[in-house]
Amino acid sequence: MSDVLEIYNYWIYIVLMMVGFYGVMAKRNLIKQAIALGLFQTGIFLFYISMAVVDGGTAPIWMADGATKVPNPLAVPAAFDNPLPHVLMLTAIVVGVSILAVALAIIINIRRAFGTIEYDELTKIEREMEAREAREAAQ
Amino acid sequence: MSEVLMIDSVLLLLVAATAIAVVEVRSLYAAAMLSGIYSLLMALVWVNMHSMDVAFTEAAVGGGISTILLIGTLVHTEREEKKRKTRVNWGALLVTAMTGAALIYGTLDMPRFGDPNAPIHNLRVPEMVNQTVGMTAGAKGKQPPPVGWTPRQNLELPLGHKQAYAMQRAHATNEARLKEAGEGHGGHGGQKADGHGAEHEAGHDDAHAHPAGDFNGHVPNTVTSLLAAYRGYDTMFETAVIFTAGASLILLLRRRRRPGENLPKQQSANLTDQVILRVMCKLFIPFILIFGLYVISHGEIGPGGGFQGGVILATAFILYGLIFGRPELHRVLPERLTDILAVLGVLLYSGVGVFTMLRGGKFLDYAFLNPASPGDGEPLGMTLVEWGVGITVCTVMITIFNQLAEEESK
Repeated sequence: MSDVLEIYNYWIYIVLMMVGFYGVMAKRNLIKQAIALGLFQTGIFLFYISMAVVDGGTAPIWMADGATKVPNPLAVPAAFDNPLPHVLMLTAIVVGVSILAVALAIIINIRRAFGTIEYDELTKIEREMEAREAREAAQ
Repeated sequence: MSEVLMIDSVLLLLVAATAIAVVEVRSLYAAAMLSGIYSLLMALVWVNMHSMDVAFTEAAVGGGISTILLIGTLVHTEREEKKRKTRVNWGALLVTAMTGAALIYGTLDMPRFGDPNAPIHNLRVPEMVNQTVGMTAGAKGKQPPPVGWTPRQNLELPLGHKQAYAMQRAHATNEARLKEAGEGHGGHGGQKADGHGAEHEAGHDDAHAHPAGDFNGHVPNTVTSLLAAYRGYDTMFETAVIFTAGASLILLLRRRRRPGENLPKQQSANLTDQVILRVMCKLFIPFILIFGLYVISHGEIGPGGGFQGGVILATAFILYGLIFGRPELHRVLPERLTDILAVLGVLLYSGVGVFTMLRGGKFLDYAFLNPASPGDGEPLGMTLVEWGVGITVCTVMITIFNQLAEEESK
C-alpha cells in the first residue's frame, strides 16, 4: 500500500495529463479542446510541484524566530520544500491563462467567420470551399 | 504515512474525478464552471504541498479569470457541444491508454514522493538558496547564511563530475563560513556565486545598520528571490509573453473605432439592476484592491509577488466590469491607459536591468542599485521588478477581459 502511495502523485499527474490528451484528440468542440489543453498543463504542474516536496518540509519562506535566535531551516533533516519548481510553475500558470485567452480569441473569430466551432463541421466547410474554388478555377 | 500524503490522496482523487467530468460533460457552460472548481481544488493541493505562491496564482487565475474568460466566450459562441452518435472515441482512448501506460512504467523509476535524497533536492539547490537567502539578526549589509547552515548532500549519488564539483564547492564555502563565524569575525563573508562579493563588502557604513529581526538585505521568500534574481531573465521574458498575449488579443478582437465613436451603451446582460450584486461588489472591491497591492509589495517577505498580486488586482476591475458594464469600466480605467500601463510594466522590469548596467554591473544585478548599501539592492530591485510584473499582468488580464467581452459588430 505504502509503495503505491510513494508514487501516487505521479500516477495522478499521468491521469490528469491523459484526460487532457484524450480531450484534445477526441473532442470536436474547439472550446472543449482549449479546456482540455489546460487540464494537460495542470497535470504537468502537479508533476513539478510533487517533485518539490520533502518529508517534513514546509513552505520555503524564512521566518524570523525572535530577535536573537537564528533559524536554521536548511539543517538536516530538511525543513524546506524545493522552491525552484514553485517558481517555474508560478509563471507557467499565468502564461497558461494567456494561452487560453489567445485560443479563445481565435475561436471567437472562427465562429464569426464560419458560424460554428465544431471541428468536423469546419473541415466540411473547408472542403466545400475548396471544391467551389476548384469549380471556379475550371470555368 | 505523512499528513501531506493523507490529505493529498483524497484531494487528488477529487481532482481526477473533476477532470474527467470537465472533459465528458456536454454543456460547455457546465464545463467552464467545473474547470473553475477544478482549479480551486488544485489550489488546495498546492497549499497542501506548501507551494503558497502557486496556490495564490491558481486560485486567482484558474478559479477567477479563466472561468470568466470561458463564459465570456460562450456568450459569443454556443452553449453546448453538438450531439454525436458515438460518445467514446475508441481510437483516441487507445492512444491515451498506451501513452499513459508508458508514462506509468516511467514513474516506477522516480524517487519516492518526498524523498530528501532525490536528485532535485541536492543538485545545485544548496548553492542556489545560499546565493539568495540568508539572515543574521542585528548585523548590517548582506549576510552569509546562518551559522550551522548545512548544505543537504548525498555523495553516494551517482553524480556527474560537474554536479559533484558544484556540491563540493558549496560545501567548502559553507565550511569556510562556519570557521570564520567561529573565530568571531562573523558577518562579512557573503559572496554571490558569480563573484560579486567584493561589491557587497564595499561601502557598508553604520548608518545602514538594521534593527534586530530585520531581514537585513535578504529576501525571506525563496520563491520570490529565485523568481527575480536566480531566474530574473526568465521571468522578464515570461512577462513579455504575457504582454504579447495581450497584444495579440487586441489585434484579433479589438474593433477600430472612428474618432467620435464610443463603446455601445447597452450591455447584453445588464446586472446593474441587481441591488445585492451592486452593493456586494462595491463592498468587496476595496478589499480586493488592497489585498492585491499588499500581495505585490510583500512578495519578497511572504507568499506573493507580481504574478499573484497582478491577477488579484485584475479580478477587482473585472468584477466591476461584470456588474456595472464595460462602458462604466472603460470610464474608470480607459483602454488607452491599460494599453500604456502594460507596456510600462515590461519597461520597468527591463529598465531596472538597464539601470544596473549603467551603474557598472551586469543586467539585473540588483547589488548595483544602491552603491551605499549593496546588500539592500536585492530587496529593492525585486520590489521594483515585482511591480513591473504586477502592472503588466494586471493590465493584460483586464485587456483580455475587455476584448473577449467586446460586443459583436453588427
